[in-house]
Amino acid sequence: MRTKKTSRTWWWVSKTAAALVLSISASAQWISYPTPGIPRTPDGKPNLSAPAPRTEDGKPDLSGLWQPESGGPDKQFTDIAREIKEGLPFQPWAADIVKARRAAENKDDPDGHCQPLGLVKMHLHPYPRRMVQVPGLTLILFERDTNYRQIFTDGRPLPEDPTPSFNGYSTAKWDGDTLVVQSIGFKDNLWLDISGTPLTDAAKVTERFRRPTFGKLEIDVTIDDPKAYTKPWSIRVNQLLAVDQEMLEFVCLENEKDVPHLVGK
Amino acid sequence: MRIRRMSLWLAVLATAASSQWLNYPTAGIPRTKDGKPNLAAPAPKASDGKPDLSGVWMADGQTYFFDLAAGLKPEDVVMLPAAKALQQRHIDNEHGEDPLGRCLPHGVPRINTNGLFPFKIVQTPGLVVVLYEQLNLFRQIFTDGRKLASDVNPTWLGYSTGKWDGDTLVIETTGLNGMAWLDTQKGRPASDALHVTERFRRKNFGTLEVVATIDDPKNYAKPWTTTVQTMNLQLDTDILEFVCNENEKDIPHMVVGK
Repeated sequence: MRTKKTSRTWWWVSKTAAALVLSISASAQWISYPTPGIPRTPDGKPNLSAPAPRTEDGKPDLSGLWQPESGGPDKQFTDIAREIKEGLPFQPWAADIVKARRAAENKDDPDGHCQPLGLVKMHLHPYPRRMVQVPGLTLILFERDTNYRQIFTDGRPLPEDPTPSFNGYSTAKWDGDTLVVQSIGFKDNLWLDISGTPLTDAAKVTERFRRPTFGKLEIDVTIDDPKAYTKPWSIRVNQLLAVDQEMLEFVCLENEKDVPHLVGK
Repeated sequence: MRIRRMSLWLAVLATAASSQWLNYPTAGIPRTKDGKPNLAAPAPKASDGKPDLSGVWMADGQTYFFDLAAGLKPEDVVMLPAAKALQQRHIDNEHGEDPLGRCLPHGVPRINTNGLFPFKIVQTPGLVVVLYEQLNLFRQIFTDGRKLASDVNPTWLGYSTGKWDGDTLVIETTGLNGMAWLDTQKGRPASDALHVTERFRRKNFGTLEVVATIDDPKNYAKPWTTTVQTMNLQLDTDILEFVCNENEKDIPHMVVGK
């Protein structure tokens, strides 16, 4: 059954835009509480260009509430390779599948079906996320559908035969002031963006987290997935500190009515 | 969907997953002379001197998951007439309306009570995070001195602040949406007026004791407090990913009414 909604090319973009409008109008109910520990200028404004804080062991502290710099469902969230001039080094089947997904109006985007997005697409998702860094473990808590990631920094190796999962299994080490995270064990056929750029279960993802100033997080993500790509490729994601606010609760399945309409062409 | 069937289904799922459970030795376990974990050792302390509740925990069985008032006398829990009617409807409809059966969150304090699924507490100064394996949920409990906000968006898991009372973390939660059930078999309702007080006390290295007070004037004539729920430390393991909505086939069959 075709509806007006599905005749749009980026139906999902309209859904996300609607969600963003909703969240802006709901801002009166956003939890506003001054973020503790923010360096401030003499007139009380957050000083986001102050140096990054450090933990007791002298490492940069990545903890904080972060949000992608682009702030909306554009750029990389729609097309992860948008900034890559030469395009992605697709294996032929992978290039074909992106074309097919676009032609089908991305009706099978797991995001539209309230599935988890996986760690790469989550970096690009416009809603805030909280990083919590403790000795041995760094957490990322996502507003989107209360998803969370555990990044183990206790020296453990990557597992031999992990159960495939949406977020994979992550271990990390510090390289100077950069946290280098390795992840494997992904479920097959994750989507890296709304276009349907694929990630397979052969993927090894490397993230490099840097906090150059109090208010900025730089994340370099390298995808090494020989099943889908002829060579590794990388993107940069910048996130900004979200100050004096808190994450909302977002439960994707609550009163979910859209899925029966996702029929494509 | 009958409760027995639902818990059986959950049990099968848990058993099948145990062989794939992440096995990595938990750091910092006190041990006896012969190398065995000493779970009766004193609770560890965090860097600020408070008891450290961090660890992977799991409720001891499903007693409170099925009946949050287990161990209490009938006169301890006084339901108002409308609440009694709603509870009866939940039972008459074979618990088919339980949001948890439709992959929606458990609410508080039910989320702590299901002894089939562990949860992980990560305690930091100013914020205690709890990661729940069942439904892949998290709670943030703000221990930075903020007061409970008024007029918040109603949510499944509420808005929580925590304060230390001696060696007990006292967690206050409001802003609940009134859609979650308090327990499974008894199907007790919870309204948006619910104010939950949880008391978490780490009795020793391996044992967490949780007591919850239910203050819901729309449903119960007076506040009532659960008996002590025991949570056991889970060693050398971790929470798994649990995506309820993945390949979900049951919901269309959960037809409410006989």
